[in-house]
Amino acid sequence: MDVHLTINGEAWTLDVRAGELLLHALRRAGFYGVKHGCETGECGACAIILNHRLVNSCTMLAAQADGASIITIEGLAPDRPGARGWLDPIQQAFIDCGAIQCGYCTPAQILAAKALLRENSSPTEREVREALAGVICRCTGYVKPVQAVLRVAALLRGEPAPAFDETDDGTPALPFPSTGDLPEAEEPPAFTSSGAEPTPTAIRVDAPRLILAPPRPDTRVVNRPAIKVDAVKLAKGRPVFTDDLTLPGMLYGALLTSPQAHARIRTIDTAQARALPGVHAVLTYQDVPRVIYASGGQSYPNPPPYDQVSLDSKVRHVGDRVAAVAAESPEIAEEALGLIQVEYEPLPAVFDPLEAMQEGAPVIHDEPDAVGIHDAERNLVHDLHVAYGDVEQGLAEADLVVEREYRVHQVQQVHIEPHVCITWWDEDDRLVVRSSTQVPFHTRRMLAPLVQLPIRRIRVIKPRIGGGFGGKQEMVLEDLCAHLTLATGRPVRMEYTREQSFASARSRHPQILRYRVGANKDGTLTAVHLHIIADKGAYGPHGLTVQFVSGFRGLSTYRAPHLRFDCQVVYTNKPAPGAYRGYGAPQALFALESVMEETALALGFDPVEFKRRNWLREGDEITMAKAMGEGREGFQQFVRSSGLEQCVQQGAAIANWERRYDPNWRFDPARPHIRRGLGFAVAMHGSGIAGLDMGAASIKLNDDGSFNLTVGATDLGTGSDTILAQIAAEVLGVPTEDILVYSSDTDLTPFDKGAYASSTTYISGNAVFKAAQEVRQQIIQHAARHLFLDPDPQQMTLEGRQVWTHDGRSVPLDQVALHSLHQATQHQIMASASHMSYESPPPFSAQFAELEVDIQTGQVTVQRLVIAVDCGTAINPVTASGQVEGGVIQALGYTLCEEMAYDHAGRLLTTDLRSYRVFAADEVPEMPVILVQTYEPSGPYGAKAVGEIPKHGVAPAVASAIFHATGVRLRALPFTPERVWQRLQEAQIPGVSS
Amino acid sequence: MLPDYDSLAPATWAEALAALAAQPDVVPIAGGTNVVVGMRAGELRGRTLMDINRLPELHGIRVSDGHVVIGGGTTVAELLASPAITEHAYPLHQAAAAFANPLVRNRATIGGNLVDASPAADTYPPLLVLDAEVELVSLHGVRWLPLDQFVLGVNQTERRPEELLRSVRWPLAPERSAGLHHKLALRKGTACSVMSAAVRVDTDQLGRCTAARIALGAVAPRPIRAHEAEQSLVGESLTEVTIRRAAQLAGQACRPIDDVRSSAAYRRRVAEVVVRRLLTAVDLELKEGAQA
Repeated sequence: MDVHLTINGEAWTLDVRAGELLLHALRRAGFYGVKHGCETGECGACAIILNHRLVNSCTMLAAQADGASIITIEGLAPDRPGARGWLDPIQQAFIDCGAIQCGYCTPAQILAAKALLRENSSPTEREVREALAGVICRCTGYVKPVQAVLRVAALLRGEPAPAFDETDDGTPALPFPSTGDLPEAEEPPAFTSSGAEPTPTAIRVDAPRLILAPPRPDTRVVNRPAIKVDAVKLAKGRPVFTDDLTLPGMLYGALLTSPQAHARIRTIDTAQARALPGVHAVLTYQDVPRVIYASGGQSYPNPPPYDQVSLDSKVRHVGDRVAAVAAESPEIAEEALGLIQVEYEPLPAVFDPLEAMQEGAPVIHDEPDAVGIHDAERNLVHDLHVAYGDVEQGLAEADLVVEREYRVHQVQQVHIEPHVCITWWDEDDRLVVRSSTQVPFHTRRMLAPLVQLPIRRIRVIKPRIGGGFGGKQEMVLEDLCAHLTLATGRPVRMEYTREQSFASARSRHPQILRYRVGANKDGTLTAVHLHIIADKGAYGPHGLTVQFVSGFRGLSTYRAPHLRFDCQVVYTNKPAPGAYRGYGAPQALFALESVMEETALALGFDPVEFKRRNWLREGDEITMAKAMGEGREGFQQFVRSSGLEQCVQQGAAIANWERRYDPNWRFDPARPHIRRGLGFAVAMHGSGIAGLDMGAASIKLNDDGSFNLTVGATDLGTGSDTILAQIAAEVLGVPTEDILVYSSDTDLTPFDKGAYASSTTYISGNAVFKAAQEVRQQIIQHAARHLFLDPDPQQMTLEGRQVWTHDGRSVPLDQVALHSLHQATQHQIMASASHMSYESPPPFSAQFAELEVDIQTGQVTVQRLVIAVDCGTAINPVTASGQVEGGVIQALGYTLCEEMAYDHAGRLLTTDLRSYRVFAADEVPEMPVILVQTYEPSGPYGAKAVGEIPKHGVAPAVASAIFHATGVRLRALPFTPERVWQRLQEAQIPGVSS
Repeated sequence: MLPDYDSLAPATWAEALAALAAQPDVVPIAGGTNVVVGMRAGELRGRTLMDINRLPELHGIRVSDGHVVIGGGTTVAELLASPAITEHAYPLHQAAAAFANPLVRNRATIGGNLVDASPAADTYPPLLVLDAEVELVSLHGVRWLPLDQFVLGVNQTERRPEELLRSVRWPLAPERSAGLHHKLALRKGTACSVMSAAVRVDTDQLGRCTAARIALGAVAPRPIRAHEAEQSLVGESLTEVTIRRAAQLAGQACRPIDDVRSSAAYRRRVAEVVVRRLLTAVDLELKEGAQA
């Protein structure tokens, strides 16, 4: 049927089917800025403005839009001849404020702001938060988007930007962008027809309480805010994500998943499905080669076990792969799935790791060809034991031994862009894989044997990624999609539904953690023993290394002469956990910080003082580093930079920590059921995997003095392309916009292991630094020899797009470029470099939580989360603080309300964003961020990692605060109202049952 | 992805009723926030979707003849923005503010929420304490049903397949009456409620309760009234003792099911706490009103 409507001011007629969703119709018409996120109206990524109101296009029919007027992101400041790239003031504000990370939800957020400001030109912060509340952002923690909307509202009212020049406590904020006296970029295109003049970018960013403690390196570009290199295209909603592409002849893949937790496929009949018109392929285990592999995107050789095949005759969890279909349309593919007849032979299933280890438990991996399972009969994937000293001796010598058990649960990454990829044969008979992946190079290597092609015949392209958080450090779709292209010869696109994103993708490993801590009355530690039982779900990816990180992190923050780690990693019939930002550390540090606080209190110590006595300081050895590498022996390491003490002091000041000691503060006379508490935790992480992770970069000089920087590093929304450009710009004496970054494509960019393990700034950043240094040398040498005729290049510098001699002569870079390319000793000034480090310098953090507990309902309301982070030099303080804010809010979800829950048959109950709760903009607490800068000698410009450290401290700090408020210690996450209420009941604290 | 459907877009109210009478498996769709999700889950009874969003009979909020009357197609956002609702149905205003998220509020309708009849449907408890009635219209005629009789169980109502829910009405509250609503959820709106409650108390000039209404959501297979709790307040002044007793009775009225959100025991317990707090707040409001 025809639907007549107005889209972005133009009349459109769309031919739609009766049941077609407006979302699909709009994307089909080329409005790719409208995103698919959840299908149930919960995430808001598909938001449009319909007759002036913000609505989800995924929960209304296209037919219902007949006669309507729709605005999509493409309509805000449409690219026109002579005016490409002009921006709506809201888009400009999002860019200026650093409000864009992955950018997948950005169009929806900007439209939400547009709809709000049309009705309310002077919104309060609360009104802004409510307006953004229907658009879930998993990256930012909403701090900067809210700032952006407040800022643009003020600018549109004709006011100066509100209080952006100073932080709340008077510390000077950050000029934005701080390009010093470098020349201005090109003039923004003139555009006046709508009256929306593009605003200049040289304004100040609102960064309240983002404090950069000294030392600040003497730099022009690094350690200063810079606009994200991908910000404009993301703000404009341009088609930059994997699915924003339709190839001629493209088929739509769909995945049939198992309704059974554990079963053999007795028969599978695909005849009807194959016979359905429009179906081009139906693949089951009978149709694809049986090649065992491990799906985790990790360096060669992938850690064991190898316990997966693309399609199997046995299913091991509800949501496991059964069959894949390729058809002319998503609807036909879906219908074909329903026509596949599967007869299952159900097998007994087991969902609890303790039961799974028992004699007689169902054996989940009984296939003979699995490799590297420790004891398949007992479902024991790994049995790990690492000792430093003699823990039993240390415990025997202690004045006090504290033994505690903690439990952490399964949570999901919830990147708003689901797993998605498109595969096709190119004109050279090479398989192209366009995928939303954090690990394009690992994917190419891991995919090759599965599709039985040599690596050279595979090309993996990573476009922009709509968030990953570790979920996309995994090959969950690419092999199936590729098999469908192999079977049909056609381009095939596959995308997970939100339900599949929960039941058929990866998640965080649940663990039972048992600590034994030996301590003396003087507050020193004698021994720490950590025993973990980890739930591996049905398959093994990342099982070894996540648990190694748990053990390593769980035994590293504090000095003790005797340490031991024991761990059983156990299969169950649940969707397999894998990599999730923090990678084992959030689990361990919840337990570690809690047990250290409990030990301190048992000894009569103030927890902060007790921890301070024992935490690692500069110069200390990280003793477990040598014994515990990435699932193998590691390398000896020392702490060479630590701002932990400063983090604690700065954080305590902002958190008003002294209130903790005021007994009156804990009670509210007007609300007798409320108890207030303040809690505290510290954390330590690493920067990349020592002796393993490698990143490479390539830089070349162009005719006009700009540079191409190509990196294998995989910006998944973190801003890594930007900070890598800043590092190159700093070395080469140019503003960031002179660096043209491209990442990542296995044909075009050098190798990088990918975006994980907090490695990109430190590892890939050093690679860029080295490559830029080499290019710098080539520039100076060419200038010295041919342009200055000066034999002493040593004293030359690059600054302000010029090469300078010590006596003040200069030549612009474009002249060096033109001269070297066209006029003398013609050659391409270019260099490549790679970097690997035997060190993994630890970033540190101090986390403070302020909250209220309703002792009658168990509701915990976190009001303030103060975090101080030592990430070395912050290459870009705005993107760094954005990482911190987003990480803290993810961690708060982990702490309070996110939880994958199952029924008795192993069916996931939390399959949408209604039942699985992710924080929205109007639900988050205040979140001041402090960056305590140190100078890490091995990092680029002194930088360490920042991506994962913010995930660690929130859960233990909230547990600490609940204890402070109520005297009740919670040792199992998440702290849902009911769980808190039950613990309060058991403890019978006064007022609970009244 | 979706199997294909037929669609109808009746231009008039009569056409819509005729279509329903002719084809009882026609699924009316207004905002789509439930129906489309149900379509995807394969839960719809019919394969023909009828867009009723544009029928003027379903729109409008008006106060007349001592009643507030709202069209079944009124969106939750319209409820939230309506001064009449804030003035005459404050618990409903509060429920609208806690309803899902702003995008959903812009599409979801009161009629859809009532017909969907989720045990946790946000608009039921406030409308139950307001003594709301729903108007069901078919080619055969019009009937009004008290809301308490309209809802039967999980996703089940008295609506016949050929009927449309045209409007909802409730009498204006008498003087010296106050009502409030509260939703307890893991987060704010978006998460379905762990439980929700609305209360309303009418008093005489001496401050004695002449009528009480206590309604609870998500504590039974359908939204319920706590009749015993209500009765316990009639003739009494609101005191700590009477409030506590009524709250206990309300807690006992719950027949919750265990589910992913919460256990039955916990829901019963917090129902008592929430009702107690609501009654205490209502008492305060009535006393302030009496002084004013």
